[in-house]
Amino acid sequence: MSEIVISGLSYTYPKAAKPSLQNVSLKIDSGAFAALAGLNGSGKTSLCLAIAGAVPHYYGGAMAGQVYTGEVKTTESGICEIANIVGLVLEDYESQLVTLTVEEEVAFGLENRGVEQSEINRRVKEALQMVGLSGKEKQQTAALSGGQKQRLAIASVLATKPQILVLDEPTSALDPEGASELYELLHRLNQDHKLTILVVEHDLSLALPFASQFILLADGSVEKAGSPAEVLQYMGSKQHYACSLPPLWQLKLGLEPEFSSFGDWKTDDEAANELIHCLEKLEAGKSA
Amino acid sequence: MLEFNNVSFSYHKNCPVVSDLSLTVNPGEYIAVVGRNGSGKTTLTRLIMSLVKPVKGTILFDGETTKKYAPADMARHIGYVFQNPSRQMFHDTAIEEVAFGPLQIGISKDDAIKQAKEALAKVGLNGYETAYPSGLSKGQKQRLAVASALSMAPRLLILDEPTSGQDQQDKALFLTLLDHLHQKGLAIILITHDMNILAEKVARTIVMCDGTKVYDGSTANLFQFHDVEKWGLKKPTAVTISHKLSPYGVSFSPTVDGLIAEFKANERGAVGV
Repeated sequence: MSEIVISGLSYTYPKAAKPSLQNVSLKIDSGAFAALAGLNGSGKTSLCLAIAGAVPHYYGGAMAGQVYTGEVKTTESGICEIANIVGLVLEDYESQLVTLTVEEEVAFGLENRGVEQSEINRRVKEALQMVGLSGKEKQQTAALSGGQKQRLAIASVLATKPQILVLDEPTSALDPEGASELYELLHRLNQDHKLTILVVEHDLSLALPFASQFILLADGSVEKAGSPAEVLQYMGSKQHYACSLPPLWQLKLGLEPEFSSFGDWKTDDEAANELIHCLEKLEAGKSA
Repeated sequence: MLEFNNVSFSYHKNCPVVSDLSLTVNPGEYIAVVGRNGSGKTTLTRLIMSLVKPVKGTILFDGETTKKYAPADMARHIGYVFQNPSRQMFHDTAIEEVAFGPLQIGISKDDAIKQAKEALAKVGLNGYETAYPSGLSKGQKQRLAVASALSMAPRLLILDEPTSGQDQQDKALFLTLLDHLHQKGLAIILITHDMNILAEKVARTIVMCDGTKVYDGSTANLFQFHDVEKWGLKKPTAVTISHKLSPYGVSFSPTVDGLIAEFKANERGAVGV
């Protein structure tokens, strides 16, 4: 079943000279882990905002086409109703932290929904545990590191029990360790809690081990969508995307013209094992 | 050019952010500073710029202690580009933005505009003189911030995570600009989390961990001989695969292009070409 269905979506911000999204049609299945790629200005953030209903409900502007999240048509639903289905973590995640302490931050969205206090307490504890922030309930949000603030923003949306989690460039402020930990967390949420994940990411090597779907946007339109391998093969065939390929696929596509076709590598280990096998075959051929 | 001797600094008593740090930066060097969030990288650059002063130890610039210098004095010699360039822009046009620094040190308006135009050309923003800085793309803003620094003719340029949030095309363009500036003799200190940039672009790397320097040397040696994960770093793909292929005769390379070349060379050897 498709969780997100977008058909013929075009959108222009108020006073903008040209549309940010043009005739976007797309399906993301329930339980998918989708990564959204494209150059700056290609429409990635606008698409995230449209899925979360902030476009057009908050930003206004001119929108054509349809966006369904779950069973809800975003143009016919209030932004609060959509927020119960879609959790959005903004690129500037600090701008969505509004309270003094960690536990107040996670409770904020639930209090606004009128959830009972005992249930709020339970969900705050659960959400902080999911993102590895247990024990920091009383800590001031301002005292958290960038990575911890990002995880707190995620906990705040997880507490509202969304079906879909949308994250806009979630690793831009993180060190390599923090970026890997965040993707491990998203993978757990996707696998164990069955959340549908959509993440905007410039560094596709981070999403590659976990993603089931890549979507490439260009000039506000979907240029290519499919399995990670399909999209990376496509990007590899276009000179202007050469530097956007994960290093793993730069290596694969750089070696394939002289060697047999390799598998659809997702991890360094997969690549190393296949290359070792290739070397062993060559050595065996030499010995024979 | 720049020398840290046993420098320590703390924002709060008994909570050191930088401890007993010694290092030198020579004219024209291209150095990366890496480490976990909170390891002291940004504080290191704030110490260089005299935005904060050492609690212990000395910092020398051209042999003179920087204790007596204000940030404005250091800004005449050292350019600083923030991670978020929007935070250092407050004019209505790109040319005004870039001319601001020269005007502050008493250069005539005509000369300041001339210097600003030259700086914009150096970063590939000629034709953008009247552009509104906030309307530029992330990559363009970052280059505008570099132009503002260059307009003061610095000898050292410090950049704090300049490529974060940029797409790969803008990133490649920006790194080519830094290569070009380095070839012209500018010393560069680049703070980055991007291990591929490190492996492909920068010869010397300083690793910070818990406020101290734990490695200072060749980037290739860092990845070839050290367990970088313990410092919160990640091995680039080429390094991980290189290590696994080395028992099979493939020579080490920290870059993808290098690894492709080594793999092909090994294969030619194997089949006796």
